[in-house]
Amino acid sequence: MEKIDKIIFGDNQFFGINHMSQEKAQQLSEKFFNIENIYKVYDIAFANGIQAVMLNSNDRAREICDYFRNHKSQYGHLSWYPSIPYPHKYANMVNEKGIFPAINDVLFKNNTALGVLGMVAKGGMAVLNKDAIELMKMLVDVEAKIYKGLNVKVIFLQNIIVDLLLGYDFKDVFYEYCEYIRKKYHAIPGLITQNLPFLKKKLEEWQIEEVVICSSINKIGYLMSPDVPTYVETINNNHSDKYQLMAMSTLASGAIRAKDAYEFINSLNLQSVVFGASSEKNIQETVSLINIK
Amino acid sequence: MNKIKLGIIGMGRMGITHYSIINSHPDVEIVSVADTSKMILDILKKYVPDLQVFKDYKELIDASKPDAIIVCTPPNLHYEVCNYACEHDIHVFCEKPFTANIEQAKELKEKFAAKSLINQVGYVNRFNDIFMTVKKYINEGLIGNIVRFRSEMFTCTVTKKEETESWRSFRENGGGAVYEIAAHAIDLVDYLIGKPDKIVGTSMNQIYSKHVEDIVSSTFVYNNGTSGTLYVNWCDTSYRKPANKLELFGIKGKILADQHGLKIFLNADDLQTGYKKGWNTVYITDVFTSVDFYVRGNEFTRQLYYFADSILKKESGNKCDFSAGYDAQYVMNQLFVDSESNKLN
Ligand SMILES: NC(=O)c1ccc[n+]([C@@H]2O[C@H](COP(=O)([O-])OP(=O)(O)OC[C@H]3O[C@@H](n4cnc5c(N)ncnc54)[C@H](O)[C@@H]3O)[C@@H](O)[C@H]2O)c1
Repeated sequence: MEKIDKIIFGDNQFFGINHMSQEKAQQLSEKFFNIENIYKVYDIAFANGIQAVMLNSNDRAREICDYFRNHKSQYGHLSWYPSIPYPHKYANMVNEKGIFPAINDVLFKNNTALGVLGMVAKGGMAVLNKDAIELMKMLVDVEAKIYKGLNVKVIFLQNIIVDLLLGYDFKDVFYEYCEYIRKKYHAIPGLITQNLPFLKKKLEEWQIEEVVICSSINKIGYLMSPDVPTYVETINNNHSDKYQLMAMSTLASGAIRAKDAYEFINSLNLQSVVFGASSEKNIQETVSLINIK
Repeated sequence: MNKIKLGIIGMGRMGITHYSIINSHPDVEIVSVADTSKMILDILKKYVPDLQVFKDYKELIDASKPDAIIVCTPPNLHYEVCNYACEHDIHVFCEKPFTANIEQAKELKEKFAAKSLINQVGYVNRFNDIFMTVKKYINEGLIGNIVRFRSEMFTCTVTKKEETESWRSFRENGGGAVYEIAAHAIDLVDYLIGKPDKIVGTSMNQIYSKHVEDIVSSTFVYNNGTSGTLYVNWCDTSYRKPANKLELFGIKGKILADQHGLKIFLNADDLQTGYKKGWNTVYITDVFTSVDFYVRGNEFTRQLYYFADSILKKESGNKCDFSAGYDAQYVMNQLFVDSESNKLN
């Protein structure tokens, strides 16, 4: 499996997501309402040596991707780590209509930007066969379109989907997702989870390998089920040729000082860290603190 | 008891989530699901071959003989499903709102209590790390007697005129901002302060909905002199995720809380907790405890594990039982009555 970047720049800070404080999130979302301010922060990150970006397929991802596509000469060397889908995008539709009508709308109605014809033919079939895997592939295609033409290294499935499916023990869906990402997109399949030990155990049992697993990892155990010791054991017994492990939420939404947070991270057998920050000082500091093998 | 044999009735949004969560419990085996939609049944059958699937919940109960069920149908069906389960001595976890009718809530509460079956309603905030912490501080008297409170909840559930109507569009089916959203804000008041003795000044607004309310506000009054206000809006697009907001004013200080954290203002240092006179901030990261399996927030796992563990007699089962479901139902019913009487024409 191709090695992933050690340091990846995340995007939560841009989109009013702060698990700790709605107020802080609000301030940031105001600041980054002007998309130029987002590009400025990216440039600071790149100037500090970062060459990889994780981007959630939210409302603004398309615009951001367009920008980087249009400035290929300047940004062509970057690696992209998209994560799909953006759940809130679908939440309201599901609220109003129920799950299947909402999927139907996503695939067949809101499809101005999609390759409509092929999609409809395929979709008609999938709905007829009630084939969850075909549906999954179509939803992946809808989301992956946003990143077309960028150098996509890993395509992550969001934890809200991964952990839901994990509870169902749906081996086939995981297997097919991973194969689809490899074959159609020539990227490494990625799974985001809040249940790293359980997911990894299941993947081993199912013999699904060469996957990137991204998970909250911090020394206080925030958003880590079941607990820190089980995580540490899982991480330190991992073979990185089978599973590359990426840490997110390393500061536990700011509960841990950066220095302490990365002391813990650096002591673990991790392959990558994704972090978000919006000031030059924090970006510089984080880059200098991350020292994984 | 061997593994708990569990059935899930109503495999919509909540049913789908609950399945994933409770399936991870080591002492639970999901044996059956029921839904009137064939689509979801076919998909489940395909990927979980051993699962028994039914279009009719009565058949599920008769044929798969579960020890316990989780009810996630639209609210107007909760009563008949729970009732049928009770007749067959089955433990029930029922989603909120408990019913869409006050008499039915009372009847179910009494029937289940008489049979000593485990019964729980899905008021998930009672299992939230922050609100559990608030409850503990109130009980310990951190801010003294509470004189005044505000309980608010904001979501962006309905953000335009609906193209199609569903159960959410009609009050008699359990739809509307009161049943869907305010239920949670009301239950938090019941849980933290108690059931109000009188409800006054209720008003409701419509923005997008044709038949049901989009906004509700009201005042709760207590015999001991406490009072507080409720304000709930399910059309507020400034909130990306549902948010509960609480303000509790006591004679020794006040607490501001939401799902992410709490701020405590004290009139004097508190020796027991170590909080200082003035403002103290408590983040979710200071008070959370992990759950064994995470799908959608610790509280969702905790509430279902509590249900299973109550059946296994490891928990008492009374943290959010049908009498809590009835209490919230009573308040919601009063809101409807009071708002009618306050209309100008
Ligand atoms: N605790 C929470 O935070 C929370 C959040 C959302 C919903 N809820 C509650 O959960 C319940 C379900 O809500 P939802 O959002 O999942 O709704 P939904 O419409 O997505 O799902 C309801 C399901 O019930 C099925 N159903 C209808 N009639 C049936 C019958 N006779 N037998 C079996 N199945 C039947 C429908 O086909 C559908 O799949 C409601 O009471 C709702 O208020 C709670």
